[in-house]
Amino acid sequence: MKPKSLLRRLLVSAAVAALVPATAQARCDTLSDVKASEINIVGNAFPALQHIAKEMQACTKGGLKVQFKMTPQVKQEVEQAFGSGGKSAFDAAVVSMGVFADLNSKGQLQPMTDLVNKYRTKYKIEDNMLVKVNGEVMAIAFMQNAQNLFYRKDLFDKHGLKVPTTYAEMLAVAKTLKEKEPGIEFPIAQTFAKGWDSATEFTNIFAGYGGRFFKAGSAAPDFNGDAGVKALETMKAMTAYMTPNFLASNSDDVMNQFQQGKAAMGVLWASRASRMDDAAASKVVGKMDFAAAPAALAGGKAATHLWWDGVVMPKNLGGDRETVFQVLMEALDEETMRGGNDLTIWIRSGYKPTRFGTGVTASAKAGAPIWPTEPYFGLAHGEIGKVIPDVLSGAATPKQALDAAAAAYAKAATEKGFIK
Amino acid sequence: MKTRSFVQFVGPSVVLMILLLAAPLLTTLFLSVRNCTLDMEVVTVEESTPFGKKETVTQRARLDASGRAIQTCRFVGFEYYRKVLGYDPDPSPPAVAQAPGADAAAGPGAPLNEFQGALRFTLLYTFVTLPFVLGIGLLLALGVNAVSVRLRSVFISASLFPFIITPVVAALSIKWLFRDNGLVPQLLSNFGVQVYWMGQAWSAQFLIIVYGIWHVVPFAFIVFYAGLQSVPQDALEAATIDGASRWQRLRYVTLPHLMPLLVFVTLIHVMDAYRVFEPVIVLTQGAFTTSVQYLTYYILLQENNPYKASAAAVLTLVGILILLIPLLVRTWREQRGGA
Repeated sequence: MKPKSLLRRLLVSAAVAALVPATAQARCDTLSDVKASEINIVGNAFPALQHIAKEMQACTKGGLKVQFKMTPQVKQEVEQAFGSGGKSAFDAAVVSMGVFADLNSKGQLQPMTDLVNKYRTKYKIEDNMLVKVNGEVMAIAFMQNAQNLFYRKDLFDKHGLKVPTTYAEMLAVAKTLKEKEPGIEFPIAQTFAKGWDSATEFTNIFAGYGGRFFKAGSAAPDFNGDAGVKALETMKAMTAYMTPNFLASNSDDVMNQFQQGKAAMGVLWASRASRMDDAAASKVVGKMDFAAAPAALAGGKAATHLWWDGVVMPKNLGGDRETVFQVLMEALDEETMRGGNDLTIWIRSGYKPTRFGTGVTASAKAGAPIWPTEPYFGLAHGEIGKVIPDVLSGAATPKQALDAAAAAYAKAATEKGFIK
Repeated sequence: MKTRSFVQFVGPSVVLMILLLAAPLLTTLFLSVRNCTLDMEVVTVEESTPFGKKETVTQRARLDASGRAIQTCRFVGFEYYRKVLGYDPDPSPPAVAQAPGADAAAGPGAPLNEFQGALRFTLLYTFVTLPFVLGIGLLLALGVNAVSVRLRSVFISASLFPFIITPVVAALSIKWLFRDNGLVPQLLSNFGVQVYWMGQAWSAQFLIIVYGIWHVVPFAFIVFYAGLQSVPQDALEAATIDGASRWQRLRYVTLPHLMPLLVFVTLIHVMDAYRVFEPVIVLTQGAFTTSVQYLTYYILLQENNPYKASAAAVLTLVGILILLIPLLVRTWREQRGGA
């Protein structure tokens, strides 16, 4: 390396090194009464959260050190820490609403109402960010997500097809595309992989048919009736237009099928939408459009669910709650949102919607419900995910499979104390 | 050796084994015969979220005076073992409403119990991969041993590559090769062959078995290669003078010399193969290929039941022990004979 270029590199590195703490200081220097030296936070790993984690780690006022652990096993980590007999290993967590429901049902969360009231103006905390249970703020949400319809607008325009608003229409469009578009052998792509993915698809379509998972006011299963059978029949009908690899198709695979131009439509997570225009991986840049998830019944609600992600603090918090709260709010302020506007669908009013979020907004308008929050729902979801492949591969009828799942769920829920 | 020196040498590893092996194992055993339930009560709560306000009927844990959830734990004996194995004295709890005889004869018959299905695939994987791992590993070792010294380092590095890669990354690379639009289906389609590798049982199982062989062969290879370096040259020369062919030298001199290593590799591979997990979760997410270890993972994560998962984990361990008995007996005899 030439001495001149070495010198230039050293200067650049020094400038960067000098700049980082300066920026960090500027981000968090309004933190008042810092009473902690180290704060540990845990969360999942996705682009919006990486952006937020960076903001949290930039809080170094008064020698404060914020560590953010990113892990796909966030549910297990949080359950262990928040449920431990001693002080929690994590001072806060970023969780999705499913994990929130579980933690809240066990009374493991710390109310934040007083802190919200104290810092509402300083951090511009908006009302619709607050997740309240019986009036107490238990979480602060910052983003939303939902599965919605992805479709190839160019192909729909070419063949004069209408964007499907029901699954029946989707099947009809799939038939037309399969016949008329030689490059599209399998028009539909959805996450039908065994386990969590297919159980989530079932949950969406089942709710679309008006199904209820549990008998009113109890944890007893009620998903093995007509709505459940219809949901599985709809899923089975879709497989005729999907790659035969559907039982192993997770979000990555479905995204890949869209990006490679091999599939023309399907319901997928909104957080994958911007990847359709990633020129490095996608052959369909600018060709994909997004709409509400189809309804199961004509005129019905969009067959999908709305999710939020937010921050929570444990009841068994070891550190200073006020310092932890301020660090969380610094990282979720308007500046963070503006810096990562396109990364997700922010809940703050200043968010400027992009075309990638249109499917979620449309689904919400089309009446999509909120993801179930019963603390025993995860058990039912887990059992359903195990039996769906039997139905889709023809090894069992929908009724047989759902009865088996309902029986297995009832046992699991009894073991956990939800059914007495 | 003096007792004091013996303890000093062996002590640290015994302490580590107690901490990292015996203690977790005993904890797992303890958990597998217990069950803890929270004291839940039905409540109506008003929840307001970014999507609006609603009143829901749900369950909440009762809390004690210090604000912690009240939990009741009890000894349940082998209840979870019976459930995992599919022997359940109460197959249909009253909570599930089932129409009498509903669809009983409509389907093609009930699928295997999860554990039985998982065990069947795990054993298939273990016993199909084993001969290939030993055979290909040995052939590679013999081949590399026969090439010039200069080429050996290149061959060794290349052969070790699959073993060095993290299992999840290795399984992902195989998945990307074989999934829709992957290299292999694309190449095959040029010859008019269309296979959807994760679409049916035979190909999904084939993929995982191929992954297993590809990933473990380097381990067998390096062990056998090391063993080949210590084959007594005088015995080989004597055999050559006696007119032994290349095959006879391999059969009567090299292989008997390598036999303890063959047993060692078999032992390790059976233990590893019985715990197959990464390719199952990455390649097929369990479709057609549920393994015993994957089942434990599913119970722990999806059913969220550490007690039942502990029973499944102990059963996995018992399975490994049963498989290893013949090999352990053989090693025990050899060691005693040697002493």
